[in-house]
Amino acid sequence: MLAIVGVAVAAAMLLDMVMLATGMRQSFRELLLTRGFQIRLAPKGTLPFDTDATIPDVASVTATLRQNPDIGEISPVLGGSIHIPIGDRDVSASVLGIDPSVQGDYELLSGRDLRAGDDVVVNDRLLAALGKRIGDTISVATGYDPQTRSYSAQRNFTITGTVRFLYGAADQSSAAMRRETLKQLNASSPTRAGDRASLFMIRVRQGGDVENARRWIESRIPIVSALSIATAIAQVDQRLAYFRQLAVILGTVSLFVGFLLVTTLVTVSVNERSGEISVMRAIGVSRTHIVEQVVLEGVVISLIGAAVGLAIGLVTARYLNSILSAFPGLPMAIDFFLFQPIAAWSALGLLTFSGIVAGIYPAYRAASLPIAETLRREAIA
Amino acid sequence: MLLPLLVASLLLQDSTRPAPNARVTASEPRTIALDEVLAEKAGLHIGDRVVVASRPNEPGDTVIVAAIVRRSTDPSEVAREDLRVRMHLDQLQTLANYGDRVDRFAIATKAGADIPKLIGRINDVAFGFRAYRSTDIAIETSRTFQVVSRFHRAIGIITIVASSVFLLCIMVLKVEERRRDIAALRLMGISRSTVVRAIIVEAALIAVLGSGLGIFLGWLVSLFVNWHYQALYRTPLAFSIVTPPIIAVAVLLSLVLGIAAGIGASLRLVRQPPLALFGR
Repeated sequence: MLAIVGVAVAAAMLLDMVMLATGMRQSFRELLLTRGFQIRLAPKGTLPFDTDATIPDVASVTATLRQNPDIGEISPVLGGSIHIPIGDRDVSASVLGIDPSVQGDYELLSGRDLRAGDDVVVNDRLLAALGKRIGDTISVATGYDPQTRSYSAQRNFTITGTVRFLYGAADQSSAAMRRETLKQLNASSPTRAGDRASLFMIRVRQGGDVENARRWIESRIPIVSALSIATAIAQVDQRLAYFRQLAVILGTVSLFVGFLLVTTLVTVSVNERSGEISVMRAIGVSRTHIVEQVVLEGVVISLIGAAVGLAIGLVTARYLNSILSAFPGLPMAIDFFLFQPIAAWSALGLLTFSGIVAGIYPAYRAASLPIAETLRREAIA
Repeated sequence: MLLPLLVASLLLQDSTRPAPNARVTASEPRTIALDEVLAEKAGLHIGDRVVVASRPNEPGDTVIVAAIVRRSTDPSEVAREDLRVRMHLDQLQTLANYGDRVDRFAIATKAGADIPKLIGRINDVAFGFRAYRSTDIAIETSRTFQVVSRFHRAIGIITIVASSVFLLCIMVLKVEERRRDIAALRLMGISRSTVVRAIIVEAALIAVLGSGLGIFLGWLVSLFVNWHYQALYRTPLAFSIVTPPIIAVAVLLSLVLGIAAGIGASLRLVRQPPLALFGR
């Protein structure tokens, strides 16, 4: 029983590590492809929203992009921050300026989407911080100047709906308005005025080659870095390499521990049953059959442990994921431990394989027991 | 001491291929310092001339690489591949079109200064900025490490549970293997308590020897982990440290588990008749 628990804990750890090693990438990929935009353009040398840098002259960039027949939808997004004075307090939030007809940043939860220039949609967190409801009017200010303690622009907006920002962090209060409106609010800002975007999201037409389109963009628009899903994942992989490597190391250790445990169990079992095995050999049971039985014993222990470990692994993965989800700025939709059937099958396959390998040495010992000597020793004992 | 600081994104270009309209001052170009990683990636050396600009296709300033520096060991920058240039504040303000502004001031206080009082005084007269203790900022910016630390603790607990079950299994199996020896001792008239004590002492010895070997292996793994990650992230930071408390916990845990397994297994065996232990 204790041995099964041991194998189960090793299996749980192995499953968790397989989930950690593959989950982040898959989760990030699913997130990026949520709305079907395969390419992101960020200011040269940066990742989307990694810095305050913006891409100037959106109209010109859009016109250049339109020259490529493979490019379908183009969604420029301008990021920024807003201040919403409520009584004697000031609620700060991040804001996205988007074109509602092609936006891929949020999904509507309640109310209606942006139509007019003075419409704003907010996430639940911001709505709660404001203490407002859909249909209420709020005053939104931008460009806080700490020298004069004043705003460069202020305007009234109507909250038309609540949304869930796909790339937003759990602890982030966010809003979205039309990009044209945010542009007007930024008009007097020395660094953000003009026709700017923080990011372009691009959907390549069906049948179009994403990598060709990405290369074409980088060659035609030198002020941007074009990131396809593959390049974005490579960048994230680089930043989160530590977790992947940790998963590989701990997964290997778990597999090795499981292997040692099964080997020890089967070896002890063979030692205890050496008399029985010798009798079986003496009455004509073949070596192959003995080997099969011993190896099968190792595999059965591994499989029972793996089945129990699967359940334990899912519970611990959920707990570990809740810890890592608290990373500052991490999009809510990203899971470090993503359950995929392939992860469970991989863990099960690895454990079964290790069970087979673990049984080989004791099986060899069992098959090569000297029959007469063993029987004599058993008889004397 | 006051240290004003401004951070901006810059582009570096080899001055053998100057940007169109690059500004070249009549006097000797000013100097910059590069991170060693940037210098290595860009193939730049001390004395090289480069053009720095804040945006593509903008005229920049021609400067001379005067120093190649190694960044301080900041854990928050380990996984980031930011490449850094240090340059004169006024030049960066001009390049970034930032006016006479800075992002922050770092203030070094004299020995014995009352820091909370000083912060209070600054904030009383401050107009448009606020003073914070460096430690408060460090706490605020260390949320990432708090998360990683909690994750490590959770993984550590799971690993300890797994190791404990493994150790218990091995110890119980090892004692079970000795059932014939125990039967022989009992048949020779040695008391149950003596047999139990002998097994416990043996289990404790095995646990101590095993933990000693484990600590040595752990130390080797720690050396490998540090070597690997220090090379990967180009940092002198230590990623894995074997400390005396960790050694104490490892030895204590294995000792407790070894003794517990010894007691459990030996009590079970000595309660059985010796002949039953022989399989009769």
